Amino acid sequence: MMKKINSRSFRGIFPCLLVSLLLITSCKQNQSGQKHTSAKTGSAEIKYAKGFNIDYYDNYKLVSIYSGMGAHADTVQYVLLAKGAKAPEGYKKAQLIQIPVQSLIAMSSMHIALADFAGAGNAITGLGSLKYVSSATVRKNIAAGKVKEVGIDGTMNDEMLISMKPGLVMVMGSPDAKFSKYETLTGAGVPVMLNSEWLETTPLGRAEWVKLMAALMDKEEFVNTKFDAVEKEYNRLAAIGKKAVTKPTLVCGMPYKGTWYVPDGDSYMVQFLKDAGTNYKWADVHGKGSLPLNFETVAPVALQADFWLNVGTVDSKNDIKAIDSRYVDFKPFKENHIFNFNKKVNDIGSNDYWESGAVNPQLILGDLIKIFHPELLPDHQLVYYKQLN
Amino acid sequence: MNKIKVLVLLSILVVAFLLDVALGSVHIPLKDVIKVLFTPDAGNDTWVYIIEKIRLPKALTAIIVGCGLSVSGLQMQTLFRNPLAGPSVLGITAGASLGVALVMLSAGSITSLYTIKELGISGSWLIIVASSLGAALIMILIVSISSSLKDNVIVLIVGVMIGNITLSVISIWQYFSSPELIKDYLLWTFGSLGGVTGGQLLILAIVVFAGLLISFLSSKLLDALLLGDNYARSMGLTVKRARILIIGSTSILAGGITAFCGPIGFIGIAVPHLARALFNTSNHRILIPACCLIGTVLMLICDIVAQLPGSQTVLPINVITALVGSPVVIWIIAGPTKLRGF
Repeated sequence: MMKKINSRSFRGIFPCLLVSLLLITSCKQNQSGQKHTSAKTGSAEIKYAKGFNIDYYDNYKLVSIYSGMGAHADTVQYVLLAKGAKAPEGYKKAQLIQIPVQSLIAMSSMHIALADFAGAGNAITGLGSLKYVSSATVRKNIAAGKVKEVGIDGTMNDEMLISMKPGLVMVMGSPDAKFSKYETLTGAGVPVMLNSEWLETTPLGRAEWVKLMAALMDKEEFVNTKFDAVEKEYNRLAAIGKKAVTKPTLVCGMPYKGTWYVPDGDSYMVQFLKDAGTNYKWADVHGKGSLPLNFETVAPVALQADFWLNVGTVDSKNDIKAIDSRYVDFKPFKENHIFNFNKKVNDIGSNDYWESGAVNPQLILGDLIKIFHPELLPDHQLVYYKQLN
Repeated sequence: MNKIKVLVLLSILVVAFLLDVALGSVHIPLKDVIKVLFTPDAGNDTWVYIIEKIRLPKALTAIIVGCGLSVSGLQMQTLFRNPLAGPSVLGITAGASLGVALVMLSAGSITSLYTIKELGISGSWLIIVASSLGAALIMILIVSISSSLKDNVIVLIVGVMIGNITLSVISIWQYFSSPELIKDYLLWTFGSLGGVTGGQLLILAIVVFAGLLISFLSSKLLDALLLGDNYARSMGLTVKRARILIIGSTSILAGGITAFCGPIGFIGIAVPHLARALFNTSNHRILIPACCLIGTVLMLICDIVAQLPGSQTVLPINVITALVGSPVVIWIIAGPTKLRGF
C-alpha cells in the first residue's frame, strides 16, 4: 500500500512496545556462529531504531524485525545470504533472502526512499501503485516499463508477484498486521518483510531503517557514511532549535468532520517539534501516535496558536476557508502563519515529503526551525514546507 | 391525551437541546452557556466561539436531520406499505454517496477538479453539489421506472437493486483509490453533524423545510395510499402522480441531508414506528409532526451521547443512531406490540 505515512496512521500501543521489545530481546535464542564484521561491507550499528536489528555473522546476516505490539508482539527473522552460500542451521522459521537483492517490490513511499538512499533505486521492479513516486531513478524505470504495478497492500496480485520471482517484497507493517496474510507468497518462496518504520518514535530512528536496506543491498559502508552525515546535521540543528529562547505554540493537522487527529508525545512528529524549539500542547500525552480529538477540544488551542502546520492537501488560505469557514478565526490564519509540507509535490501528485523527507530528517528539522525561529537559520531555504497565503 | 404527550415531548426537546449545547469536551458552566446564547458579546472569546460556531450549529443540524430523516422514512413506509422501508432503501442515499465518492476519490485527476474550482465551487460545496446531483440522478431514474410500474413492491426492489449497483460502483472506485482518499470518504460515511456551518446550515434548513412542506401537504395522499392503490384510485387519486410527489419529497429530504451530514442510518426506519406507537394513529396529519418531534429528540440525545461529555473524543453519529435504532427495529419485529398501520 503506497500509504503516506503520517501521524494519523498510528495504531500501536507504545508503552507496550518497549516492554515487548525488552522481552523479545531477552528471549532471543543463542544462535551458533561467530559474530563478525564482514570486511567487505562493514557492519551497521543500530543506534536509534527500535523496530529491527541486524546481527552480522561469518557468512550470513541475521535481520530481526519486531512487528506488532503487546499480545501481537512478534519477531520475524530473515537470514541474508550471498548467492551460493549454505544456509546456517538453527533458523527453521527464518525466511531466506539472497543478497544483494536484485529485484525488490516496494509497497510504500518509504521503501522507495530507503532504496534511493542506498543507491539501489534500480533494484525496484514492482510498486503497489505507480502513482506515488518522487524518485527520479524509479520514475525513469517506470517510463521505460521496467516497473510493474502489483496492487496495493491487502489487494496484491499474488499470481503476478510470484511469477515475477522478486528477491524481496517489502510491505507496510502495522501492530495488528498478521503475517499469515502473506503466506501465499512466502509459501511460493517469495520472502516478505513487514516494515514498521513509521512506528519509530524519533525522526532519526525512522531514517535509520536505511541501514536495513544497506544490509539487503550489501551497501553498509556507503549507507553508514551517508547516515552519519544525516545524524550529525540533525543533532547540530536540534541543538540550535532546543536553545531557542521563545517557544511558539502551534497546532497540527486539519480536522475532518468534527474529528481532529493531533500527533501525541509518542510520535516522531512531536520529536521534530521538540527539537525545533516549540511549545506543543500534547507533547507529554502518551498514546498510539496520534490522538483523535474532537474539534471543540482543539479549537481553544487553535484560536490562540502562533502557528498552524501540516494542513493536508490544501494550497492556499482560500482552500482552507472553503473547507470550513470557522477556520478563519484561528490566529495563525489571521497572521499568515500557516505552513504546509507540500512544497515538493510533483506532476503526478506525489509528495516527496513522505519519500525523501523520511530519510532526510535533517532537512525537515531545518525547515521547522526556519519556520518557528527564522533568526536562528537565516540562510536556510525551505525544502519541503511552504507558507500558505 | 395527545396534547399532554406533545407537551412532554416538547419539554424533553428543550432540555435535550440545552444539554446538547451545554455539554462537551470543554467545560463551560451552564449559566455562561445561557449567557452566551442570550446576550451578544458575552465575555470569554473561546467559549463564545465554541458555543456559537461549534455546538449551536451542531444542535440545529441535529434538529433538521431528525425531522427530515424521520419524515422521509415515514413516507417510504407508507408508500411501499413496508415497515422496514426508509430513505436509504430506494438507493437515494447511495446515489448521494456516489456523488460524494466522485469528488473525494477523484482528487487524483486534478484537471477536472480545477475546472470546477474555476467556477468558484470548492471544498465542501463541491461535495454538497455532487451529492445532491447523485441523489437526484437516482431519484429521476426511480421515478421514471416507477411511472411504468404498477406495483409498489417492484419499485422497492428496483430501488434496492439500483442502490446495490451504485454501492458496487463506489467499492470498485475505492479499490483503485489511494488510502488517504479512502480514509476521508470512510469518515464521511460515518456521518457527522459537526460539519455544517453558516451558509450551509441555512441551505440545509431551506431544503429540508421544502421537503417537509411537500410531505405535509400530501398527508391526505399518504392516508389514502395506506389503504391500498385500488382504494386510492376509487377516491379519485392519481396514484402515479402521488407516488412521484412522495418520492420527490423523500429524495429532497434524504439527498439534502446525506449531502451535508453523510448517510445517517436508522432514524428514518425507527422513528415512524415510535410515532405510530406513541400516538396510536395512522393519520399522517398527526404522524408527520410527531415524527418531527420524536426524530428531533432522538437525534439530540444521540448527539449528546456521541460527544461523550467530558471526554476529548467524539464518536461518529452513525454508530450511535445504529445503537439506538437497532433495538427499536428489533422491538418492532419481535416485540409484543403489533405493527400499527400496516
